[in-house]
Amino acid sequence: MNTLGLAIDTTFDDTSVAILRGRREVLANLTLSQFADHAEFGGVVPERASRKHLQVIHPLMERALAEAGIGFSSLDWVAVSNQPGLLGSILVGMTVAKSLAYLLRLPLIGINHIEAHPYANFLVHGELPFPLMHLVAAGGHTLLIHQEHHFQWKIVGRSVDDAAGECVDKVAKMFGHPFPGGPVVDKLALAHEPAPHRFPRPMLNGPGLDFSFSGLKTAMLYFRRDNDLGGSGGFQEGPVIAAFFEAVTDVLITKTLRAAEKYGVAAVTVSGGLAASIKLRHGFEAACENAGMTLYYPPPALCTDNAAMVACLAAYRHEAGRHDTLELDGRANLVG
Amino acid sequence: MTPSPISVLAIDTTSEFLSLAVRAGDRPAASRYLLCGNGTSRVLFREIDALLAEVGIAPAGLELLLVAVGPGSFTGTRIGMAAAATFAQVTGRPLIGVDTLHLLAAQSFSNDGSRVHAVLNCVRDEVYHAPYVWRDGQLEAEAPIALSTIPELAAAVGDTPVVLRRFPPAPPEWDDDLARLKRAELRSSHPDGLLLLEAGIARFRSNRAGPFPRPEPIYLKSEAFRKWSPAAP
Repeated sequence: MNTLGLAIDTTFDDTSVAILRGRREVLANLTLSQFADHAEFGGVVPERASRKHLQVIHPLMERALAEAGIGFSSLDWVAVSNQPGLLGSILVGMTVAKSLAYLLRLPLIGINHIEAHPYANFLVHGELPFPLMHLVAAGGHTLLIHQEHHFQWKIVGRSVDDAAGECVDKVAKMFGHPFPGGPVVDKLALAHEPAPHRFPRPMLNGPGLDFSFSGLKTAMLYFRRDNDLGGSGGFQEGPVIAAFFEAVTDVLITKTLRAAEKYGVAAVTVSGGLAASIKLRHGFEAACENAGMTLYYPPPALCTDNAAMVACLAAYRHEAGRHDTLELDGRANLVG
Repeated sequence: MTPSPISVLAIDTTSEFLSLAVRAGDRPAASRYLLCGNGTSRVLFREIDALLAEVGIAPAGLELLLVAVGPGSFTGTRIGMAAAATFAQVTGRPLIGVDTLHLLAAQSFSNDGSRVHAVLNCVRDEVYHAPYVWRDGQLEAEAPIALSTIPELAAAVGDTPVVLRRFPPAPPEWDDDLARLKRAELRSSHPDGLLLLEAGIARFRSNRAGPFPRPEPIYLKSEAFRKWSPAAP
């Protein structure tokens, strides 16, 4: 079915609108990042994020429609991420989506943003072979999701404290780098051999599939405090960051492959902002090849929050008749 | 010449109440008013749909959108504004915003020349307020919205009757101070969508040719307020 759908994502600090034809033809995928708006605070300020979403969502929708070369009347469905995230931000996107659905008499589809992240892979790789093991390493979440079919998924591992991306951002900040820290950490990890110092790999040897990154973050804080970086005989920043990121990637890769093995899954996907890391991708490629598993990851532009992945999942939901009412609620916390 | 009637929808979600009003051409206006708390997003479209059905108009038939732009609940204000702006974008119709203090003052009787001071509580120890006067059935602001402590408010208001709205959390220690203020006689006891309809249509008629710049939400609070430079009324 070549339906036309419009999807909105305002779950966190990016305002994103996408227009999709069928399941995979992205006619527009526009994201307005708020990094600059929050830079002075070193993190996202929820009220500021909500205000910005309201300010930009309508012009962004107009641009997306123009880029797609269609008008509102051409749309067949409307989708919106209604969980998890900053509730004030979610409500802006939800109200806009509900207004469109109401005015244009279109089906409304509420999307779990976390469930949508792996669909960045369906967008670019086509149909993937179920069952799948997804690692979703987005800013606020690090999750292992076992998916048996569309809409049938279960979280089998999650971070019990900081998400991996959050840990990377905070450690980058300790070394004086701006938010978000992922790109600079990845660049340093690619450019340097890891320092001999072995940082902790929390919960790596336990039997479960959960993650923990706060201990690693604290270890980096103490290391930073106790060591002179750049001085003669001291540690150099690049190798230290490389050693830190090696600890992060070791944990993510090992746990993901362990989860795949436990659930008898032969294909793994990686998505979320941290999936844009080339170092992490190289690590996954080597590990999956060694384990005889198939690996999928999206291009970097589809790793960070975007409405195209939301639209892709929504297209499947629309085909299956899984629509929501205009009384759809927003949820700050992840349910699933 | 009497201006031709138009079809208008008014949305006020700036408080814990949802206030809606609609006028379809020359038929009598209809309104809804209900306590939603945090549930505005859930019930908004059900209520709009019921109201439009009541007066027999389809959403596409609306010619003007009106919205309350605050100050008030930040999230509530955004819900109303996001909905109204989307209606305006899809239908290509003008959208006009009216501030909450104007609507509060409009709850008073429109005796020509009478003055009224609208007062709205802020979260902590300050209130938003502004003076208004009724002239020829229209409410005119006499000064920009200000943010003051209760003693400052009492000094500014003097004997002018006030229309006061308090929404949670309103500090109980204000009770005595606020009780001393002279209250205005009210034609409406609550934030009525019909008052938004009245104020918005008046603005539309006074500037029928447009343009109608997109209304901005008013977030008045502490430091943000001090940076904000309201246009002179």
